[in-house]
Amino acid sequence: MATDTLIESDLDISQLVDRPWVTIVWDDPVNLMSYVTYVFIKLFEFSPAKANELMMQVHTEGRAAVSQGSREEMERDVQRLHEHGLWATLQRDDKI
Amino acid sequence: MSEFTRDQNIYSLDLSIDEAHILINLVEQLLELLGEGDFHHHYDESDPFAQLMSQLKAAPEEIVTPEDPVLLRLLPNAYSDPEAAADFRRYTEPTLRGKKQRTLQMVRQALEIIVDDDRSGVVEDLDSEIWLMAINDLRLALSIRLEIDPNSFDHFEALSDSDPQKPIYAVYFWLGWLQANLLNLMAG
Repeated sequence: MATDTLIESDLDISQLVDRPWVTIVWDDPVNLMSYVTYVFIKLFEFSPAKANELMMQVHTEGRAAVSQGSREEMERDVQRLHEHGLWATLQRDDKI
Repeated sequence: MSEFTRDQNIYSLDLSIDEAHILINLVEQLLELLGEGDFHHHYDESDPFAQLMSQLKAAPEEIVTPEDPVLLRLLPNAYSDPEAAADFRRYTEPTLRGKKQRTLQMVRQALEIIVDDDRSGVVEDLDSEIWLMAINDLRLALSIRLEIDPNSFDHFEALSDSDPQKPIYAVYFWLGWLQANLLNLMAG
């Protein structure tokens, strides 16, 4: 029915789905590639291969999601990345 | 040129007196920019690096987004949304600032021994993780002042020796070399 359609279009589906938060690391021209890999291993205990892959994603695509979880957990991760001088933000996950 | 060395898990750095002066000057300026000025300074106003980080310094009573681009790089926004970023900053920035100050203070104390002795020396048994973070913050700070981009090394090489920017670029790239040197040892 027409009214159903109207109601549905008023809803923002993103508010209905409990999406996780993600920590994004952004590329910058200063941090050494080896340093970024080192920080990923130190903070997230990634394997060297995984850390290197994420570092390359930051370098080539300009950004990479490095962790996912609750808002509080992501705020903690962003804070630790900032302590190490990486440029990081948190946001709701883009993907539903 | 000076470099880090590693023997088992003991790290050292031998420095010429000039290098020690450059490092302690940068560390002290960055400490001041971060709001900590209560210590004896090893640089004076005639130092060519003295004005690098001293612009726009202020100690706002309220925790707000820094106007100084170096501070904004070292204490960045955690959210793209300005309101969420400001909220987060209000309750986390003092901790972040304090950690960076403590890191720089540890490096400063180690350098002070060499500088006060006024001759080349070795920083012995240094904390490699602390030094790595401190050097990184110095590089980040200088990169903002120098407006570093991926072509900056070519730009640096093309500068004439009389260009006043040249020694500052030289210090920036030297710090990058030192950081890579330390990372390489830590990975070994």
